Amino acid sequence: MLDPSYLNRIRRRERIAQRVIGLGGAFVVICVLGILFQISWVALPLFLEPDAEIRARVPTSGEVDRVVAFGVGEYIETAYVLTRDGALRYVLLEDGKTIAEERLASPGADDASIVGVVRHGAGRYSLTWSDGSVSRERFAFESTFDDEGVRTIVPATSRELGLAPDEGDAESGAIVESTLLPADESGFTRIDRLAEGGLRLHVRAVSTSIFGDSEATDHRFDLSADLEDDRIEALDLATDGRELVAITDSGDLLRWEWDFSDSDDIREPVLVDRVRAAEPGARLTAVSYVFGDESLVVGDDQGRLSRWLPARSETSGNRRELTRIQTLDPQDGSVVQLSPTQRDKSIVSLGAGGTAILDHTTAERRLLEFDADSRLVHASINARSDALAALDERGTILVWELDVPHPEVSMKTLFGEVWYEGYDEPQFRWESSAATQDSEPKISLVPLLFGTLKGTLYAMLFAVPVAVLGALYTSQFLSPRMRGIVKPLIEIMAAIPSVVIGFLAAHWFAPILQQSMTGLFLSFALFPVIVLGVVAVWDRYGAAGRVLGKRREGFEFLLLAPVIGLAMWLCVKVGDFAEPIIFGSDLQTFLFEGLGVVYDPRNSIVIAFALGFAVVPIIFTIAEDSLSNVPRSLSAGSLALGASRWQTAWRVILPAGAPGIFAATMIGLGRAIGETMIVLMATGNTAIMDWSPFNGMRTISANIATEAPEAPHLGSLYRVLFLSAVILFVMTFILNTIAEIVRHRIRRKYARF
Amino acid sequence: MVDATTCGTTDARTILHVRGLAVSAGPRALLRDIDLAIPERRVFGIIGPSGAGKSTLLRCLNRLVDLDESLHVSGDVELDGRSIFAPDVDVDTLRARVGILFQQPAIFPVSIEKNVLFGARHLRRLDRRAAADLAERALRDAALWDEVKDRLDAPAVKLSVGQQQRLCLARALALDPEVLLMDEPTSALDVQSTDAIERLIVRLAPRCTIVLVTHDIDQARRVTDRLACLGLRDGVGRLVQCGPCCELLDGRTNAEVAERLGGGSCCD
Repeated sequence: MLDPSYLNRIRRRERIAQRVIGLGGAFVVICVLGILFQISWVALPLFLEPDAEIRARVPTSGEVDRVVAFGVGEYIETAYVLTRDGALRYVLLEDGKTIAEERLASPGADDASIVGVVRHGAGRYSLTWSDGSVSRERFAFESTFDDEGVRTIVPATSRELGLAPDEGDAESGAIVESTLLPADESGFTRIDRLAEGGLRLHVRAVSTSIFGDSEATDHRFDLSADLEDDRIEALDLATDGRELVAITDSGDLLRWEWDFSDSDDIREPVLVDRVRAAEPGARLTAVSYVFGDESLVVGDDQGRLSRWLPARSETSGNRRELTRIQTLDPQDGSVVQLSPTQRDKSIVSLGAGGTAILDHTTAERRLLEFDADSRLVHASINARSDALAALDERGTILVWELDVPHPEVSMKTLFGEVWYEGYDEPQFRWESSAATQDSEPKISLVPLLFGTLKGTLYAMLFAVPVAVLGALYTSQFLSPRMRGIVKPLIEIMAAIPSVVIGFLAAHWFAPILQQSMTGLFLSFALFPVIVLGVVAVWDRYGAAGRVLGKRREGFEFLLLAPVIGLAMWLCVKVGDFAEPIIFGSDLQTFLFEGLGVVYDPRNSIVIAFALGFAVVPIIFTIAEDSLSNVPRSLSAGSLALGASRWQTAWRVILPAGAPGIFAATMIGLGRAIGETMIVLMATGNTAIMDWSPFNGMRTISANIATEAPEAPHLGSLYRVLFLSAVILFVMTFILNTIAEIVRHRIRRKYARF
Repeated sequence: MVDATTCGTTDARTILHVRGLAVSAGPRALLRDIDLAIPERRVFGIIGPSGAGKSTLLRCLNRLVDLDESLHVSGDVELDGRSIFAPDVDVDTLRARVGILFQQPAIFPVSIEKNVLFGARHLRRLDRRAAADLAERALRDAALWDEVKDRLDAPAVKLSVGQQQRLCLARALALDPEVLLMDEPTSALDVQSTDAIERLIVRLAPRCTIVLVTHDIDQARRVTDRLACLGLRDGVGRLVQCGPCCELLDGRTNAEVAERLGGGSCCD
């Protein structure tokens, strides 16, 4: 009979132990879930719907068709309204009060009124006056602070350029609409749409001599001939003033290019593109460059919106011609107006039905639809793209404040093939930060996923056979004394910091490999032949027995080690010798010229070895443990049945240790997928999708390490990086889960009792 | 001490001849001066107290003792007049000729049929038909056929321990061994399974030589033809007595035998 108090003590201790262990387990699970939750939480806003909120309704005094321009200031506190007679009014959005009023006058006659308006975005307008003069205006707001620090908003109107009528243009209505773009000094580019359907280009190039004298040269061209009797429906001048697109009533999309910036190399306007852009039965109604002036959006009378880009095709050879690269969701009725935002590739379109829509072109994402009770007839987005002003048919200006934090992110840009500007076909690309502000960020995660899998795959191809066979040899054939030395040594390998491996791989191994690539490939064939040949000879003449004596088992590697070293040396030497004979010059040149394969010195083979080197100890240790723990009775049973040691190892020990080997492989895989430093240092980190072993890759982890410090806090890139972290997490999670399930299955299958 | 010849004359040919066998683990001697002549197609029993080196002696007979690198063997064992320690002897073939059945069944984590054919597969190529025939014959020999004939593909680990032991026997018999070593094959089994194994031993004896290590004198009395007694002298296992079973145990009680063998009790 046991002492009850003793029993109670044991029970109490067991309960405490149980709780501590349970708590520890729960803590780990909570931590992991917490991390997943945290990174998902940061990534989540990428997929939230954008939001718009009406901030103000400002009634205008004039009739709707008297308003020629209106817009919102950068702080969404003020707005301006310009009417046909040149009256400009600045109002406070809060209460609709007028804070300033002025009257714009034509650069020519005083009593002229405005007949044509071209919006350039960010409060800039080209105005065409009834007397034939043209001006370029800018309506802005400046904040000033008085002594007490109170901020007041002061309207700032500036005329960037004003041109009095040319001869002959003075008669009323000769010019329907002019686009005016100021250039350096007093230079400018000017496009005139004429009443009788003509199209004129006037470029004033100003060159300054070394003495400071400036000389203006006027270049005037009549582009009407290129129209071939079509009438222009709409046009848009690129902001660099060297390119013009226009749509005609016959449904064609035209593009001209010229360059007068270098007086020694003048390129006169040429019609570079004329493509049929209209669908059968449709009429083109609007055209506009997307921010950056590389691609453009065309709208038709059925509400269709398409995006066009100069790109090379199989038929066009080296010439880029306008190609339809996207079709956006249709507008409500005929597209009456298109205006690009000044920050990204979004575009505001206004349909005849009276709805304004904000689309992101690249992401093919409909960001916002602006529905008012009344029909909208004009829409204008402000310079910061955070407010949209629209004029409805009743003459009220409606102002929405926009919350569109990540317009460029959509499932398509993250995971799909996207036709980016400057490319000739849709591609998966990761180029998150561009050289210029107006080029679009390319955020496809597919090449990163690809790179991760590629690096892992190559590493595992090298590591798994080496580690598992090494473990098999160590556990089954090596003498116990040697095993006691070898195993800890390999385990110490795991303690080598990956930055050291990466450094060695990049700066020591990669150049050697580049030198001896032929030797490496040769060794795949020569190595087994040499080693097996030597083994056969030893075996045949029993030399092994004589040299090592009776206790030779477990020390065979002592004989083989010099052979292996010699075989490697021989492979390299033969490779160096054979390279010019086989490939003519060297392997790299042969690869490039003969097969079109680019040899990148920091390639997947380097990664296979370096990352493999990092993974081998993990796989080896776990695999060796599981093989050593196969009951000795099994191997004794097998040997007693006349099976050789090799047969026993291969057919009894290996299957019985399979769950452990599988687990080891999976844990190694998890390490390889998440490994950052080695791939960061030893690959070129180029996000290409190519299985070639001679190329590098960019992995998710290396990408996060590279870009996280540069990603603006809570910006799109920042959140996309977190999204990639979620994907990495989920990948590892799925992998480990599969591993665990399979391991259980195998274990059940091979369970002894 | 006891010469091989003192084991008594026998009408059967001697298949295994143990001459002056000694086994030591480093400086410590485990067995010394063992001389035995094991007759063909008989059941030869080895009894003795725990630690007398019965299992070690048995493992010397098919060189399984090689697996333990700390053991050093001197003396000689001859199988059919040829030393099994000669350098030109292929150990794997030797072990196929001299099979062994362990105390605990060592079942491979594969199907029943694959377990049976495991050894045979190494020796010769078997086509499907021949393999099936061999498996059936071996299982019938081990009196397991009727119990497993419907589930040859089932995992062998699902069998009971008694069945597993008979499966191990079938596995060894599939190799047609000349000698079958049995290392206390029934000590892990219940009464019925023990009974089954003992009946099998008796049945198999005319076909192959069986060397049975046991600590159960009653079992020795039931199944063995000749008996060798190992005893402990100064911590080293030695041959105490050897002879026909009936002579050795004639009329004596267990206690008397135990006393005679010395070195403590023979049966627990």
